[in-house]
Order: sequence, then C-alpha cells, then structure tokens
Amino acid sequence: MKPYNWMVTYTPQTDWIKGGGTIVWLSFFTGLFGSGAYLASLYFDSLTGMIVSWLIVAVLKGGLHVGHAKRPLRLWRMVLKVRTSWIARGTVFTALFALFGAIQIILSYEAAGTSTEITFKVLTAIFALAVMVYEGFTINYVSGIPFWNSSLLPATLISWGLSGGLALVSVVVSDGGDMTGLTTASRIALIVTAALTVLYLWNALYAGSASKESMKEMVGGALFWVAVVLIGMVVPLVMLLGGALAPSSAIAFLVCEIVGGLSFTHGVLKSGVYRPLI
Amino acid sequence: MRYGMVIDLKKCVTCYACMIACKQEHFLPPGMFWNRLLVTETGEYPRVRKVTYPVLCNHCKEAVCVDVCPTGASTRREDGIVVIDAEACVGCQYCVVACPYQQRTYYGDDKKEYFPGQGKTETEIIGQAIYPLEAGTVVKCSFCKERIDAGAKQGLKPGVDREATPACVITCMVKARHFGDLDDPESNVSVLVRERNGRPLRPELGTEPSVYYVE
Repeated sequence: MKPYNWMVTYTPQTDWIKGGGTIVWLSFFTGLFGSGAYLASLYFDSLTGMIVSWLIVAVLKGGLHVGHAKRPLRLWRMVLKVRTSWIARGTVFTALFALFGAIQIILSYEAAGTSTEITFKVLTAIFALAVMVYEGFTINYVSGIPFWNSSLLPATLISWGLSGGLALVSVVVSDGGDMTGLTTASRIALIVTAALTVLYLWNALYAGSASKESMKEMVGGALFWVAVVLIGMVVPLVMLLGGALAPSSAIAFLVCEIVGGLSFTHGVLKSGVYRPLI
Repeated sequence: MRYGMVIDLKKCVTCYACMIACKQEHFLPPGMFWNRLLVTETGEYPRVRKVTYPVLCNHCKEAVCVDVCPTGASTRREDGIVVIDAEACVGCQYCVVACPYQQRTYYGDDKKEYFPGQGKTETEIIGQAIYPLEAGTVVKCSFCKERIDAGAKQGLKPGVDREATPACVITCMVKARHFGDLDDPESNVSVLVRERNGRPLRPELGTEPSVYYVE
C-alpha cells in the first residue's frame, strides 16, 4: 500500500498479523485449539487430553501473550480493566483456566471421582469456554473493521476450536478410547464449522463495502481454498464419513484441523480492512 | 469542558505545515506522524476535485481505544483529551487495531535515525531528553496537552492564547484550524460547528469525535 492510499482507500490491518503481530495470530489459534481440546477431553474423559490441552493454553498461549507484550512486567494491570476490555478479560480467563486446570489435573491423580475434582472440572471447563468466547469478541469488538464486526465471528472461531480440539483428543485416545463417539462428535463439529464459515463469509458480502472487500481478499487466494476448504474441511469430512478413525487417520485428521484452523484465523486477521475515512 | 478542534477544509491549502509543526513540537522519530493529511480526488474527468482532510487523534467522547485498553493506560481526561500513560502501557496494540481512525502508533524502534548510519543528530538527542517516548508503548496526538496545561497554569486560554494552543493550530498560515471548548456554546469552535454545520469523520461509528470539519 502506498502512503497516499492510507485510510483513503481500504487500509489493511497489519498490527496483529505482520512482524511481531504473528504472535497474536498464533496465540488466538492456540487459545481456541487448546480450550476446545480441553472441553473435548473432559467430555470423552481423557486425562492425557486434559494435560496436553492445559499445556497448550497455559504454557503456549500464555507464553505467546507474555512474548507479545513489550512490557510484560506490567501485565498485572490487566485485572484493573476487566469491566471494558476483552483482552483484560481474556487474560484473567486464561490465568484462571491455568490455575483451576492445574488443580483439577492434580486432583484427577490424587482424588479421582471426588466432588472436589468434579467441581474443579466444571470450573476449568467454564474458563476454557470463556477463553474461546473472549477471543472471538476481542476481534469482533473492532468496529473499524466491518469484516470482524460480525456476531457470527465468535461462534465460527469457537467452532474451529472445538473441531481442532476433537481432532487432538482423537489422537490421544486413538489406541483404545471411544473412537466411535469421537468420530461422530467430530463429524458434527466439522459440519457445523463448515456451515458457520460459509454463513460468516456470506454475511460479510452484505455488511458493507469494506466487509465485502475483506471477504473477496480472504477467498481470493489459493490459501483459503487449499488450506481452509480442502485440508481443513473437505479432507477430514471424507475421512470421518468412512467410519471410526484408525490411529493413523486420527493423526492426519489432527494435522488437517491445525492447518485449517491456523489458515482460517490467519485469513480473518489478514483480510481485515478499515473503512476509508473520506 | 471538552476541548475540540474544527478544521476548515475550504481554507486548507495542503501545505503540510501542521504535519511538520507536530513533528517538531514532539520531536517525533522518523516515519511517525501524529498529524497527517489525507489527500484524494473526487469526481470523474474532467470534473475532478482534489480533497484534503487533515487528520489527527479525534479525542473521541466515546473513545474505543480507552475501552479496549487492558491496563488503563489510555484514559480520557476531564477536559476531554485522550492520553496514554506510557508507564502503564504494555504495548499490546489493541488500541492501535481498535481505533477506527488509525490515529495511534506503536513505537517499537527507538534506534531509528533520521540519517541512518550517521548517528542521531543533536536535535534528535535533545528531543529524546525534552519529549521522551518510551519504546514498546503506543503513542499518539495529545492535543499538545503540555502547552494547554502550562498555559492554564498561567491563566491563558487554549485556542485564544498562542502559548496554550496546539502547535498545528498556531502554525496554520491560513487559520484553517480552530481550537477551543466544545462544551462552551459561545466558544469559537462551537460557533463554527453550529453555523457551518460541522461534521466529524465517520459519525456513524458512535465514537463522538472532538475534531470537526467544515466546508
């Protein structure tokens, strides 16, 4: 973009996708993916899945956030603004997820089946969902980018997170867990994800010219059709329609969902353009 | 009280003096502008018109940047000026992304020189001492709050007395920029907005900017 085009034509958002902004994209994805995996692990009662998803959210996502903040020692201040800021809320949700999740995992080893363990499972699940919800609303709150300012976006991102999470749990439990149940749940999640993605993009066409421009930018490249549609949706759906997943197929399903989810979040962040000011 | 600015687009001659005055006033590093001119054309040949919009932070009444700031570093003062406390900013850049007018800048590299490879000039060194910007934080136009605050202590009136008025306003050679209290119905800015149907940028966003344009 030439300097004289700045805010006179559609100006792309770069702060959250280029350079250091790549960390934001990765932290959004790891948050969705890890939280989705925790919820899926809880539903299918996979302790290994819970540990892996806890590590993804608490260590990977948390680390990425600390890495992105240029003044990380000031992060404690985020508890002061939970009333209005989605990022502040998200930081608190992530911290509480990490805390309750750690306690729950210890309890699952030391006091499995007790009411205390169940209480912490419920608390961790609530904050896992909160982490997924906050990510969508953090992006959705930006009114200057109409493509993001859609109520369908948070739901679509949650759906991608759940699909990826189910794929992760499929790998974790593939050697003896409830693969039939997981395959059915994954199939439903994937169909819902595909439907929400189509709906979100379709809706973007009618949400003003800037939103339409973003939508065209997103679906205009080969990355969207190859990584999001083919690898992220079509290939896994074909695999899942073939019956319960074998261990090797489960790994392929996970890779597909990671590629699809990363590409979708990347596309959404990269395609966001600001309305011209004049 | 709510300080605001009115820019007369009919008077603006696109001389960029406001942009330079702002850079000088705050010793802004290379590539950073708190005041910009958006220049474009409207119409179709042969009836084409060049349009110039000087833009700066709108110091919105319903400032999105203040709402999204996770640490409370961005605040709106009682006089309506939106300021950033560099001591509290974590550099997350949510405000930069959220500002629909794109008037915030992330200051990441404090090693940039106006003459790369030749070291910082004396002006740059003095600037860093007088107006230190903290690397790793977000910066933006402050309506020259230092001038306003210092002027107020001396009993001067911003928008009327030069010493208490933003640099971009006093430097404008055609007096296209006006500064004053939007809450005072008799102030120069309120009269201009009322009589010449002043309009802010993108009013539909509901941010209630404090910078108005008259044509």
